[in-house]
Amino acid sequence: MNAVNPGRKLALAGQALLLILLYLFLYFPIFYIMYLSFVENTVWPFPPEYTLEHYINLLTLDNFHQGLVNSLIIGIGTGLLSTLFATMAAIGLLKYQSRWRGLLMIFYLAPLFVAHILIGISSLIFNKAILGLPGNLLSAIIANATYATAFAFLVIVAQLARYDWRLDDVAMVFGATPAKTFREVTLPNIWPAIFGGFFVGFILAFNNLEISFYNLGAIPTLPTIAWGTLRHGIKPELYALASIVNAFIFLILIILYFLLKMGFLKLDIKDR
Amino acid sequence: MSETILQLQGIYKNFGSVEAAKNISINVSKELFALLGPSGSGKTTMLRIIAGLETPDKGRVLINGRDVTNLPPYKRGIGMVFQDFLLFPHKTVKENIVFPLKMQGKDESTKEEQYQWVSQLVHLEGLDERFPYQLSGGQKQRVALARGLVSRPSVLLLDEPLANLDRELRKEMEIEIRRFQLELGIPFIYVTHNQEEALTMSDRMAIMRLGQLEQIGDKFELYHHPQTSFVASFLGSTNAMQGEIKAVDNGCIVVDWDGVSLRAPYKDDFKIGMTVDYFLKSEKITIHPPGQKPDDHGRTVIEGRLRDTIFKGQYADYLISLKNDNEIIVSDVPTISPALRNATVSISWPSEAPDVFPADGGLA
Repeated sequence: MNAVNPGRKLALAGQALLLILLYLFLYFPIFYIMYLSFVENTVWPFPPEYTLEHYINLLTLDNFHQGLVNSLIIGIGTGLLSTLFATMAAIGLLKYQSRWRGLLMIFYLAPLFVAHILIGISSLIFNKAILGLPGNLLSAIIANATYATAFAFLVIVAQLARYDWRLDDVAMVFGATPAKTFREVTLPNIWPAIFGGFFVGFILAFNNLEISFYNLGAIPTLPTIAWGTLRHGIKPELYALASIVNAFIFLILIILYFLLKMGFLKLDIKDR
Repeated sequence: MSETILQLQGIYKNFGSVEAAKNISINVSKELFALLGPSGSGKTTMLRIIAGLETPDKGRVLINGRDVTNLPPYKRGIGMVFQDFLLFPHKTVKENIVFPLKMQGKDESTKEEQYQWVSQLVHLEGLDERFPYQLSGGQKQRVALARGLVSRPSVLLLDEPLANLDRELRKEMEIEIRRFQLELGIPFIYVTHNQEEALTMSDRMAIMRLGQLEQIGDKFELYHHPQTSFVASFLGSTNAMQGEIKAVDNGCIVVDWDGVSLRAPYKDDFKIGMTVDYFLKSEKITIHPPGQKPDDHGRTVIEGRLRDTIFKGQYADYLISLKNDNEIIVSDVPTISPALRNATVSISWPSEAPDVFPADGGLA
């Protein structure tokens, strides 16, 4: 056995410390809110006295149920719409070699860089004047889908780049119509990518405040409720709400992780 | 000989400014037909046109007399073995193989029957439930072949099917693929850039270059009587020389190759002073041990220095340095001792051995 070089040991310890600090930077505020949501005195919560009071208050809050349902509708609707568009865009871009590929890609991704508040205001005006849509859930779904499509596209295109489109040719030569080719060969290989795109679109729209707010007016969603209650000072119910939403998302990610680990889900195509 | 199954008539295909096919006409009967050419010669494009994955700009594709030029691939009933195998990664061996039957809407008993037949044909017993990533290269190759043959197609296309296999396996599969063709009695059209493969396996072959057909015919014909410089240099292990015709003598021309005289049969378009390409397959040259001087009647005889001997078992390659600083490779039975390195030896070949063409038809 070789003796471990003490300099190397120190370097490793330093790297580990750096990693921990980085994770703390990313997650500490979130975990702190989760902690607050369970304690009695949220102003100076040390030492803690645990309680579920904030959660009970949250559940009895006006509009909470309606807001949750609306947020789910917007999340699912936006997720479906943006996944559909992003999948078509990604397939088109990857399957058909074009010398404009780079430019086409930039235009798919550009909505990522537009301020949400601008997307909100512009789609409010556009949806009303041109589409004749009053402020409602549909209008919010369409507005959220503009930038969620760009995000979903990013996720989907990165995964689909690994799919071998020659498999589509193989299926067609062996008698599969284009529709059957998609169902039998393309989709079973690319669905994890599509699912990833949906998941991203769903979460973005579920959590979105600015875009939804402009297109909904008085119709509540979880983020607009949270924002509305702010006007009366930060209430502990908000901590409970934030914790529930975050816990829900972490839970999905953890489930996905284990499904992947145990092989029920495959994100990678092992064979070219 | 037997009836024509596949006909290509005057096929043209351009990709932008690249001519991938230029007036290609080929008839294939129940035989193993090789399409041979370097990469970029348009051979894979021809295969894709036959399969329906590309549409020709001009020309027709006929299978059993039926014009399929404008049919999509899934209506052509062709079998194909793809480069890199391209098995469906999410399907098992059995699902991969019965895929064509499933797409044709065949019932379960037909599927089972055909599957049993084809997995016996290609020796695939016991792999039914494996996934492609669990297979070795040779097994993938067999699955790909089985999938190509399972529906008993009217034509089987093979696109560089052995390119990813190691040498041993390739030799084994060459023999197997020939056996399948003989047993099934359908045309196999085999695309490759490997001349050894094409020569081993095919009955007839076509050589393509830059989207054009250089020569088509029996493989012996192409090997021994190439009609273009390209075919002459491409097939076999060829010494390429170039020189000027100095004299015509007794039905022969004498070519001056940097001061060395080479003889070749006279052809009508040859004139004194013309520059010609002179191709000579290395096995058509005889090497004579030091001290033996062959009779130069009707032969070209040259002296050179035996620079090295590459012993290959059944034969040896002798590298001969000539006085004009060029080198010739001679493949002959390994009778000369490798100890004779740097000895002066004579090499000779009959006048009719080389293939000679006017130099303008040159090699790109």
